[in-house]
Amino acid sequence: MNAPDRYERFVVPEGVKKVSYERDTKIMNAATFTVEREDHTIGNIVRMQLHRDENVLFAGYKLPHPLQYKILFRIQTTSQSSPMQAYNQAINDLDKELDHLKNQFETELAKHTRDY
Amino acid sequence: MEGVSYQRFPRIKIREVKEDFMKFELRDTDASIANALRRIMIAEVPTIAIDLVEIEVNSTVLNDEFISHRLGLVPLTSERAMSMRFSRDCDACDGDGQCEYCSVEFYLRVKCLTDQTLDVTSKDLLSSDHTVVPVDYSDVSSGFDSNSTNKGIIIVKLRRGQELRLRAIARKGIGKDHAKWSPAATVTFMYEPEIYINEDMMETLSLQEKTELVDSSPTKVFGIDPESKQVIVVEPEAYTYDDEVLKKAEAMGKPGLVEIHAKEDSFIFTVETTGAVKASQLVLNAIEVLKQKLDAVRLSDDTVEADDQFGELGAHMRGG
Repeated sequence: MNAPDRYERFVVPEGVKKVSYERDTKIMNAATFTVEREDHTIGNIVRMQLHRDENVLFAGYKLPHPLQYKILFRIQTTSQSSPMQAYNQAINDLDKELDHLKNQFETELAKHTRDY
Repeated sequence: MEGVSYQRFPRIKIREVKEDFMKFELRDTDASIANALRRIMIAEVPTIAIDLVEIEVNSTVLNDEFISHRLGLVPLTSERAMSMRFSRDCDACDGDGQCEYCSVEFYLRVKCLTDQTLDVTSKDLLSSDHTVVPVDYSDVSSGFDSNSTNKGIIIVKLRRGQELRLRAIARKGIGKDHAKWSPAATVTFMYEPEIYINEDMMETLSLQEKTELVDSSPTKVFGIDPESKQVIVVEPEAYTYDDEVLKKAEAMGKPGLVEIHAKEDSFIFTVETTGAVKASQLVLNAIEVLKQKLDAVRLSDDTVEADDQFGELGAHMRGG
């Protein structure tokens, strides 16, 4: 039948870039990032992290269609920053947050397994 | 390039840990992180499951594909999965997925020779790797009833003369591909509720009205103190955000008698696994997988360079 292969959902095809970037032609400091083979898991955390950045004027993501396995981020920033800078910053901050979370979890777990 | 950091420092408090179950509190972060972790635990933490079956003899009542499907659903211990290769990007075996780096071989050979019905179970699956075996639910620490005679997971039943002989290949995979690879039985999180009782207003209620209010909640959130006869919060987390008490208070003509808010930065997680990995390990693996995913969506250097050039060009074009 014509159903797409299941792996199509998470394997980036050869020759396709995971992240591509397109600057907006009409608005200053605005851009669209296309991320292949990602969904709400990444989309939502990156969007929420971008909202914490006060230089970000607009940040949103969309999953254009359930059978198009990609997400689009749209970011507009003030002139103090740039969409690319904000995007990198958001990912770095999330990465550090997860490092912290991992350490927290491990120390808590060690406490609990000792009590056992 | 370095901007100000907007990083958060979430806290975790573990309430309960068992082999295949755990409950913990996650604070000082938002729902997007909580939901990302939940989604990853369900669909993106890798495990090992049977993916290819070659049937030699099958004279059982179930057809080949039916048995293959059942074998696929048997949970296998998957501590190794995180460090294993996906067979599609394994270069040691040209993608046929049958080498030690990306697969585990199983054999099953059973024949019934008596008049007694013979159960073929997950215990009859012989693994080539002792670290990857069907999950044994007879472990004392797991929540399962260990009194019942433990015979593993039944795959098919045989009568006299019937036989099942096969070879199976188990591979690494994720729940997004097929649910058989999902290590999670259930993963849920809820907002921690904050419940305020307006004591002054509560004083104006008769004991009967208080009882009615307490009973209006479908779950046991409130109670009445046997001595002071005051309405108290017994179990805030039993609250299912059903609004029933609030409606009751309104109906009694006392809006604001009880106020309930969801704390937007505080979550209570319950994690239950199939036994493929330990519950605590599942959470750690989920954090690790999320980190890997984030790393994969970083902008590549050539994209940045391309934009720098475009930026200069753009500046020229804009008349800069």
